[in-house]
Amino acid sequence: MTLAAMLLLVAIGFCAGGFGALAGVGGGIIVTPLLAIYFGLPMHQAIGVTLLCVIATSTATSSMYVERHVTDVRLGMTLELATTVGALIAALVAHHINRRTLAVLFACFLLYSAGSMIKKAWGSRNEKREEVIPDYTPQNYPIGLGASLIAGGFSGLLGIGGGPIKVPVMLLFMKVPLRVAAATSNFMIGVTAATSAYVYWGRGDVRVDIAAPLVAGVFAGSLLGARISPKIRSFYILMLLVGIAGWLAIEMIYKLLTGGFQ
Amino acid sequence: MSRQDVAADRVLSLTLKFGAYTAFALIVVGLVLQLAAPWGIKVTAAGLVVLLATPVLRIIVACLQFLRERDFKYALVSFGVLAIVVLAYVLGIQS
Repeated sequence: MTLAAMLLLVAIGFCAGGFGALAGVGGGIIVTPLLAIYFGLPMHQAIGVTLLCVIATSTATSSMYVERHVTDVRLGMTLELATTVGALIAALVAHHINRRTLAVLFACFLLYSAGSMIKKAWGSRNEKREEVIPDYTPQNYPIGLGASLIAGGFSGLLGIGGGPIKVPVMLLFMKVPLRVAAATSNFMIGVTAATSAYVYWGRGDVRVDIAAPLVAGVFAGSLLGARISPKIRSFYILMLLVGIAGWLAIEMIYKLLTGGFQ
Repeated sequence: MSRQDVAADRVLSLTLKFGAYTAFALIVVGLVLQLAAPWGIKVTAAGLVVLLATPVLRIIVACLQFLRERDFKYALVSFGVLAIVVLAYVLGIQS
């Protein structure tokens, strides 16, 4: 690989990790399509590499949230029982799904994520940051576990974290405060992504030469992003990510219609 | 939140930080070495292996913390998660 390509991958990782940590969303959704569209990587390889980026974001940022006692470790561990099962099954199945089908699923998820980010940005306009976390007891474990199974499945299938599925369910059905839900979802993502990453790694779908510079960038970006995120309003970053996600979805659909992703 | 939980969070956070910074350092050193020598990619790959191992280490540390707090229910939950992840690793090697 040329030095220029390596630096470009570091830069992409830095932006994905940084924006992800600043806006409280996984940067994974922009890495997979970039690799598949502009680097010509087969979907399975693009997903395998993205899983490593997702583990990097989760590890770097959740170390800080756990330190600040925002993460509910017990809740996270319990739901991981379901996310890992979903991730394992999906990673085994993903191998048998053709690239075009994966690309269609991914484009749909990009649009869904863009929608949920718009909703999040709209909600964050005038929000006051909840400084003190209110007392709570997680409710409705069966619904939480069911949603976690599905989120884990999407993670193994598409290489994403699954935050847009888990966070609303924890908030609405399990009655967990938003900040705790976001931090706990983020905490779970590392273990979930690692579960499917082992399967991808074993199949040779994790390209070390591409993953390494990306992961280095993601680490730097997410560590910096998580450090300055309490001082920055997420509205504009979210809207920027909505723009990027929307653009990538259009590119993917265009490429699908013109016979790409074979 | 109990004092034990506060201490447990600290250990867990340190575990994650240790994994993250070790992986980051190995990958950066490996990438720079790669420019000069082809074997640098082995250092890079070692960094990715550390990255992949960190979540498992995190589960083991959490499990031990729960055992120390005599919270056997969550120790068992952690052990269950560990079992599934190890199964994924075994199936991954075989495929």
